[in-house]
Amino acid sequence: MSNTLRLYLACIRNTLDAALCLQNFPCQEVERHNKPEVELKTSPELLLNPILICRNEAEKCLIETSINSLRISLKVKQADELENILTKKFLRFLSMRAEAFQVLRRKPVQGYDISFLITNYHCEEMQKHKLIDFIVQFMEDIDKEISELKMSVNTRGRLVATEFLKQFV
Amino acid sequence: MAAIAVHQFAQCITCHAWSPDHAMVAFCPNNNEVHIYKLIQEKWEKLHVLQKHDQIVSGIDWSVRSNRIVTVSHDRNSYVWNQEGSEWVPTLVILRLNRAALCVQWSPKENKFAVGSGAKTVCICYYEQENNWWVSKLIRKRHDSSVTSVAWHPNNVFLATTSTDGKCRVFSTFIKGVDIKEKKEGTSSDTKFGEQILQLDLSFSWAFGVKWSPSGNTLAYVGHNSMIYFVDDVGPSPLAQNVAFRDLPLRDVLFVSEKMVIGVGFDCNPMVFAADETGIWTFIKFLDERKTSSSGPKYGSQFSEAFGKLYGQSKYGVGNDAVESSRTRGGAHVNCINCIVPLREAGSSRITRFTTSGYTWDLGSQEDLLNYL
Repeated sequence: MSNTLRLYLACIRNTLDAALCLQNFPCQEVERHNKPEVELKTSPELLLNPILICRNEAEKCLIETSINSLRISLKVKQADELENILTKKFLRFLSMRAEAFQVLRRKPVQGYDISFLITNYHCEEMQKHKLIDFIVQFMEDIDKEISELKMSVNTRGRLVATEFLKQFV
Repeated sequence: MAAIAVHQFAQCITCHAWSPDHAMVAFCPNNNEVHIYKLIQEKWEKLHVLQKHDQIVSGIDWSVRSNRIVTVSHDRNSYVWNQEGSEWVPTLVILRLNRAALCVQWSPKENKFAVGSGAKTVCICYYEQENNWWVSKLIRKRHDSSVTSVAWHPNNVFLATTSTDGKCRVFSTFIKGVDIKEKKEGTSSDTKFGEQILQLDLSFSWAFGVKWSPSGNTLAYVGHNSMIYFVDDVGPSPLAQNVAFRDLPLRDVLFVSEKMVIGVGFDCNPMVFAADETGIWTFIKFLDERKTSSSGPKYGSQFSEAFGKLYGQSKYGVGNDAVESSRTRGGAHVNCINCIVPLREAGSSRITRFTTSGYTWDLGSQEDLLNYL
């Protein structure tokens, strides 16, 4: 794996380690409610500064934290039109099944490809370092998945074209 | 040193409190109940379940002399429980809150208790004999955000609060008819209820876990920016010190003696801070011994050990070769510690044992720390 990817992921891991210090916090605006403050954004004192980690112009990661929740938005590298379409379809497939992932957000944040929302309840049920491992592993696997998909599309296209053009030989 | 006793009561404990004789412990297992367990012949047995709240119980305190439990919850209610026979009977508390209650503490004389809330107010409750309920007086208009923690000064009148607006404030909570005005020279004339004595704006992030030292001379609280603040001579001209550490932020602190403080937080490992003869506070060590950490504040050597681990990573599998897995914390706690409660021997001002959400720790076996006690 390339050196820049290793550094990028290490940086994200360290940031998540510090940002995932979440605690149960009831809503200040509505009584008896408990909402993820990073989505609500009504009390600015409960939000921390968002951090943008860029690997290059095409790949970046936005981490926004608050007192009880954290939102990570990823922009995946898309080199050409085909990868653009594949990424969109693949990530849409995952986002539609967000309940199964628990920490996935159904719609990505504007300007990004996919978003995660981790709340204090997730940290209570699951271990923090395992959550971080999951996110980082996901980022590693996404690139591989897209390349594999692209390769299989190209292979299939070549096979179909060969078969089709055989009739003219 | 490791924890002397480790008890797994529930998957997640929100808060806990010990009975005066240390035989029973009351805690909230992250739901709307309070469980009371008793140590019967080396095993913990569930004795009572207090079910009156609708939402998670965020604070429990057990008074030492009057054997009463006060509980506050996110459902804006609070109850004072008295033990009558073998049952715990709740007494109504008129809190007049319109948001969740976050923390509670009995005053030293146990005639009042303070509740911090998400309504940006602090309620001071006292007992009204005629109606058999607890009434509250509110400190309003001072806090800009939720009050996360409250702590009583030994004189039963001053109250320190921390809030998510990053400030620590000290108020006077003198209530006519409940408190007796001390006729001493030198006492300040700020004996009006709700009078703000002091406001400390030291942290630029949220403040938690405020505590007074046993004599009431020093105040300690933590900020979410991984710093702990010590304020000596609280009064017209306080002396503030801050200690920054490179680990994850703390959530709560405890004064073990006048000169030693234990802090607990997101690092799952209690940290010891002590003041030397000149009054300068420093970080001493972690209480839980781990193989990777070194004893003493030598952060340089810790860093090189971590680097050694990175480069010595063996390649096993295509997926793992470059991404190191997270440091697994080999300590007693697996998740963040959110409160620390002392096991106080009656009459003694030195605390040698304390518990952190389910684990009991003994300081007495630690020789190098005894010098600071």
